[in-house]
Amino acid sequence: MGKITNNIRTLRFMNGEMSQGELGEKVGVTRQTIAAIETGKYSPSLEVAFKIAGVFNVTLLEVFGWEISN
Amino acid sequence: MPYREKIAWLSLGAMIIAYGIYFTFVIVASLNNKPITDLTTLILFTEIVAIQVAILIVGHLYFRFKTPIDAKAKMDERDRAISQNSMSVAYYVLMAGIIMVGIVLPFLGTGWKIVNSALFMIVIAEFVQYSLVIWGYRKGA
Repeated sequence: MGKITNNIRTLRFMNGEMSQGELGEKVGVTRQTIAAIETGKYSPSLEVAFKIAGVFNVTLLEVFGWEISN
Repeated sequence: MPYREKIAWLSLGAMIIAYGIYFTFVIVASLNNKPITDLTTLILFTEIVAIQVAILIVGHLYFRFKTPIDAKAKMDERDRAISQNSMSVAYYVLMAGIIMVGIVLPFLGTGWKIVNSALFMIVIAEFVQYSLVIWGYRKGA
């Protein structure tokens, strides 16, 4: 078993404390969806994942990771 | 709280209030062995629908006024996933209920008993749908 991890909170901070609403607007989802992605409650589609990486100008692996747990 | 979760809570509440009153009235009349007339049932049903619609209109206007940006936002992929999951489960609940009403009740009851049972099954399916939407947003997706 494992779970998807992400660095969205850190990346938002490093990009001028971008708000969840702003990021959501840029990738075409709601603020609540960004919040759900950040807290690991929702795994986005590949399309949204790539868009998020694109907003921060980083690779997908710099935004999302996979944590293996027993 | 996401706008669509608020709307699901509103719809669930309006439905529970409206159909709670309706089915309480119908069950009490049935237990007292005082069957209500066709006209009374029709008037009661009309009033119940009016109550439900009034609650929904007031609720929608309130939420639109309180969170106008969220109200205007289009459904995103998470909203669509939650909606599709809830609808597909509610569909099976509705199908099971309607088949039961259509096949079993003609042997046990007539007229309004069948109509009210079918209505009850629709309400149950709606209840399941709104509950799953709320659960979907609470859970995350």
